[in-house]
Amino acid sequence: MDMTLLLQVTLNGLMLGMIYIVVALGLTLIFSIMNVINFAHGEMYMLGGLVAYYFSEQLQIPYMLILVLAMILVGVFGIVVEKFFFRPFRGELLPALIVSLGLSMTIQTLTLLNFGTEDQSVSTVFPGMINFLGALFSKERLAIVITCIVFILSLYLLIQRSKIGCAIRAIAEDREAAALQGVNIDRICSFTFGLGCALAAAAGVLIAPVFYVNPYIGGLPLLKAFIIIILGGMGSLLGAVVGGLILGTVESFGTLFLSVPASNLLGFIIIILVLLFKPSGLFGHE
Amino acid sequence: MEENKILLKTKDIRVRYNKVEAIKGVSLEVAKGSIVTLIGSNGAGKSTVLKALSGLNPIVSGEIWFLNHRIDSLLPQDIVKLGISHVPEGKRLFSRMTVLENLKMGAYIRKDKEELKKDMDEVFHYFPKLKARINQAAGTLSGGEQQMVAIGRALMAEPKLLLLDEPSLGLSPLLVLEVAKIIREINKKGVSIILVEQNAKMALQLAHFGYVLETGKVALDGIADSLLNNTHVRDAYLGG
Ligand SMILES: Nc1ncnc2c1ncn2[C@@H]1O[C@H](COP(=O)(O)OP(=O)(O)OP(=O)(O)O)[C@@H](O)[C@H]1O
Ligand SMILES: [Mg+2]
Repeated sequence: MDMTLLLQVTLNGLMLGMIYIVVALGLTLIFSIMNVINFAHGEMYMLGGLVAYYFSEQLQIPYMLILVLAMILVGVFGIVVEKFFFRPFRGELLPALIVSLGLSMTIQTLTLLNFGTEDQSVSTVFPGMINFLGALFSKERLAIVITCIVFILSLYLLIQRSKIGCAIRAIAEDREAAALQGVNIDRICSFTFGLGCALAAAAGVLIAPVFYVNPYIGGLPLLKAFIIIILGGMGSLLGAVVGGLILGTVESFGTLFLSVPASNLLGFIIIILVLLFKPSGLFGHE
Repeated sequence: MEENKILLKTKDIRVRYNKVEAIKGVSLEVAKGSIVTLIGSNGAGKSTVLKALSGLNPIVSGEIWFLNHRIDSLLPQDIVKLGISHVPEGKRLFSRMTVLENLKMGAYIRKDKEELKKDMDEVFHYFPKLKARINQAAGTLSGGEQQMVAIGRALMAEPKLLLLDEPSLGLSPLLVLEVAKIIREINKKGVSIILVEQNAKMALQLAHFGYVLETGKVALDGIADSLLNNTHVRDAYLGG
């Protein structure tokens, strides 16, 4: 196999992995402090793509600004959703699960009614290729990888270094003990939920020019995010990053030998292996 | 007791878990600057009383007053801001976080950075052993060290009233003495304390005033010394 192809496949895998990671980080963050498995998380990604389409194709706003706007819009939407749909069921796994499923379907249907079912494409932000080590890479894909890395590192710093990050980790470990230290649980949950949704939206915006946008695009990244979280360990941020890199690489190399649908199966094979040999995931607690 | 000397007062509080009443009308008073102990056997309701005071368990009737504030409908995060810090049963440290982060969480409500540094030093003055372990995950400390972090974390909030739930549990006799000494020292600095203990002897020796809880009610109360000599207390809690 020639080197160029190998490098390109690696970059592709890296890009997919990074996008999955950003989606999964939001999902696992929300799970770790609220015990909510949010099936509507994919819809936040889809809404991000939608915002990107409207703002870039209809209004021609600069893409960086679109990224920020989409994160704010979807983040605020997430905060509202948390307050009215999830807060009443806090701590109850099953009701929250059903609420999130209902929410996912509702958002999808509403989008469908307003947007239609057609695929829409978003024009490339960074056209052209770049020559690196003798191989040609799409600038767009490199930009996506770099932006995702910036997001991941920023999130890491926020969680590890900031006061609010400390509070988030405290709630994840022991909600009552956190409250006893003076942490406003409602406010932190609200912030975290909004942040998680904003991350999903960011992923949706970033990948929109590479793929296409329609009301159904949230399903696949949600599924990938679940695979990553199970692989990396529920609630573990490091696990999500490592899991994402593994899944992205495996799938991307899988397409060299298998058809795309078949390579999509690789994720499930990974899950089965993890559940058999290390049910708590690579970095799971307990 | 004169009104203005009272820091905390509960009036006939009741707490229910589902349908079962765990606290059946308890009235307590804590004088400013004092150590008050709640003793009683397993399941008497000692921890439940503390959880009612810190807001973890809502009361179904009665009143809780702290200084001039009625606090029985407040949330834990607001009660700690008024000056009540709770070291819960089982320590409840953030075990994946470092010792330093745990102490910082204790100071979560505070904004005065300078003072905070001083209080951190004070914690290390009480518990010098912790200083070498500030970057260690709290979950990897020994039981005794964890108890120290738990007390230290509560002190970081600059409490007026400290609620201690069985601080001597699982400690060696030597360490129990050490903790007793530190509790007295904290109290000397002006922090009032409610001390819940299985170790009734240690608790009564430390405290000024004591309440004996039996199945959710106050069976007996009085000056700690008089309880130490009370025949019922001797038979039931001091091993004769
Ligand atoms: N979360 C809970 N749900 C239901 N019942 C509870 C709960 N917590 C405590 N109880 C019950 O309330 C009563 C008082 O419990 P509490 O923990 O206050 O006792 P305690 O005096 O602290 O006992 P110990 O010395 O063993 O810690 C017990 O009968 C206990 O079974
Ligand atoms: Mg108890």
